[in-house]
Amino acid sequence: MAIVPSTRIYEGTRIPQRVPTILDVDPRKHDPGDILRVNFGPNHPSTHGVLRLIVDLDGEAIAGIEAVIGYLHTGFEKTMEQKSWWKSVTYPARIDYLGFHANELEYVLAVEKLLGIEVPRRATWARMCLAELNRIHSHLVWLGTSALEIGAISMFWYAFDDRDAVLDLFELAGGARFHTRYVQAGGLAEDLPPGFTGETRKFCEAMPRSVDEYEAILDKQKIWLERTKGIGLLSAEDALALGQSGPVLRASGVDWDLRRNMPYLAYDEVAFDVPVYANGDVYDRYKVRMDEMRESVRIVEQCCDRLDEMEGEPWIADDRKVVLPPRHELQTSMESLIYHFKIVTEGYRVPEGEVYVVIESPRGEAGCYVVSDGGARPWRVSFRAPSFAALQATATAVQGSLVADMVAVAASLDFLMGDTDR
Amino acid sequence: MPGVVESREALGETTLVVDPARLVDACLHLRDEDGFNVLSDVTATDYLGWGEQGVAGYIGTGSGRDLNEPGSQGLAHVPSPKPKRFSVSYHLLRVSDDPARVRVQVWLDDGESVATVVPVWPAADWFEREAWDMLGVRFDGHPNLVRILMPEDWEGHPLRKDYPLGGEPVRFSDED
Amino acid sequence: MSDRPLAKAGLQSERVLWPERGPGVFEREVAELEDALLLTTMEKAVAWARSSSVWPDTFGLACCAIEMMSIVSSRYDIARFGMERFSSSPRQADLLIVSGRVTHKMAPAIRQVYDQMLEPKWVIAMGACASSGGMFNNYTILQGVDKIIPVDIHVPGCPPRPEALIEGIVRLHEKIRAGVPPAYEIRGVAE
Repeated sequence: MAIVPSTRIYEGTRIPQRVPTILDVDPRKHDPGDILRVNFGPNHPSTHGVLRLIVDLDGEAIAGIEAVIGYLHTGFEKTMEQKSWWKSVTYPARIDYLGFHANELEYVLAVEKLLGIEVPRRATWARMCLAELNRIHSHLVWLGTSALEIGAISMFWYAFDDRDAVLDLFELAGGARFHTRYVQAGGLAEDLPPGFTGETRKFCEAMPRSVDEYEAILDKQKIWLERTKGIGLLSAEDALALGQSGPVLRASGVDWDLRRNMPYLAYDEVAFDVPVYANGDVYDRYKVRMDEMRESVRIVEQCCDRLDEMEGEPWIADDRKVVLPPRHELQTSMESLIYHFKIVTEGYRVPEGEVYVVIESPRGEAGCYVVSDGGARPWRVSFRAPSFAALQATATAVQGSLVADMVAVAASLDFLMGDTDR
Repeated sequence: MPGVVESREALGETTLVVDPARLVDACLHLRDEDGFNVLSDVTATDYLGWGEQGVAGYIGTGSGRDLNEPGSQGLAHVPSPKPKRFSVSYHLLRVSDDPARVRVQVWLDDGESVATVVPVWPAADWFEREAWDMLGVRFDGHPNLVRILMPEDWEGHPLRKDYPLGGEPVRFSDED
Repeated sequence: MSDRPLAKAGLQSERVLWPERGPGVFEREVAELEDALLLTTMEKAVAWARSSSVWPDTFGLACCAIEMMSIVSSRYDIARFGMERFSSSPRQADLLIVSGRVTHKMAPAIRQVYDQMLEPKWVIAMGACASSGGMFNNYTILQGVDKIIPVDIHVPGCPPRPEALIEGIVRLHEKIRAGVPPAYEIRGVAE
């Protein structure tokens, strides 16, 4: 299909005209005397984090909505300005804490672009493999928690069981289940352990069966269909105007995926399909994510095959001014000792420049804008958070819904407050 | 293209520096004529103190040290000066069969303001609010320019270079 | 050697498999406190009942919340402790697991949730950010949630593994069963 479809989900635009992110009560549709203003959050049963929604209710229908964020603003950007380039890689993972590998990756790709350093292909393929495993992890948590919120409570246990299998693979590779800090400017921090591809292949055999199971539970279930079909409509034009990306955009019919249209890492060398659905409702966003899980398994299998071929190749670049030399060299080479000392105490310096690197994180377009003054610390690091944009679409997507649908719409937009507030 | 003061290409990215007074014209041209239909990000940067401290030591690059290049011999290398204190960068994306990215940049001093691009791309709403909250850059015509990430009664703009990092001093267990 | 479950399981408190080590610091202190507090049988029964069905509040803030959710999952099942019933209403919750970084904007909300909980109530500060501000020492993060609410157990980690959080929960159960009063009685709560 063409990038932007010609069939329209609804006519015109539903973006509120006064302020695009605040739905005002329409006095023609609702009697102002009937409106009840309810405060949802910041602590509430939903699992997305500390979001506060101020909702104007007319009975059960939503007449107005406004989102208040900032309850998790951590000051990543200011803190990273104080740390050296090497030490600041620990921070981005905590921004989008479900897609932790994607965040580390976008920052490190930006730093590598400024450095002009060439990353060995084993590191590129390993990063890609882990990025896709991360996507599966993020979608599984999304599935478990969103189904839990909509009412399909047992999906939580199914999804988290598979999620633990993915985290076992991350633990095997990076040493920690979460926030592995496995990428580093120049490649990976350590080589992939032997047996990683074998374990990953076992997981890839089991995963499509699990996805089949989830679809068997939810796809044709009457209550699920009632609660997700036709809810939270977002047309392609509105989605593009609101800066949406990722599964939300693809569920509205726009055939756009950064991995295929503007490839990075080695995505142009793997075969995968991009699921696109045309109805723009919660059900289609769910279907997009389920299909994406299958496609990610395909990519991971291809990565495993290539990684086996590249067994024994270097996993990090050779440039001693940026990358620590191997330990055994410190005993024999004076220059290596000096490089090691300089990098550990001062940190490497990145040439002056500004760069904006964007990748397809599980939530959509995640970007990192880095400005360097040639020094040992970043001058400015700014993260483009896909959840920040997704949350802006709430006022548009939630129109005409009831309170219960608001939960489903918020769940389907898949935002995380860590990502939104940074 | 209306309003473009300078156009730079670096590291495969195009930056168009635009006169702040003509920003909306430039953005409308980019959206309607050149097809940049998605606003990816609006980022403001504070350059206070840029270039005051020279950078010594070798710069880490893959191409190695160039002995003819000043700054590679331990001399202080000063980065190229910036025109004004603040830059606001708009990162645009063209979602089409011919994908492209471009960065539109405006330069402002403290106290100067720039027109809002919310009428052009509604996605700019919260991004501009964040730039206001974090750096104090004013956007004229923005429908709702209030703090978004910090509490409403917060004073100061945290991401400015003259705003302290804050936090508490860490005491270690064997200190007095 | 106390008869506490952790000590009997041979899991010494420093998590190192040293068979010849005696009970760790935690087990010894809890055993000493138990001897000092001298609970009556009735009190012991109440303490046992309280520790067997501590209902946590759904207070997930950031990354630690994801690991907190994973202790509900089938691999790290906390239903075996009677704790799978997460209560969204603080009025019905016994335990507040502060999982994630606490900002100054969020601090009044946490305090309000804590105040709405009914006695007896316990607090676990999960993770480095809740215990001490973690890796974020800046203008926006509260350097430890124990500045505003009294904390019973701090669980280190970034994020702590689910097993680590369960260890913290089990230690809380042992404290409750030994008769150690909740933190607000020891440290006092600001009115």
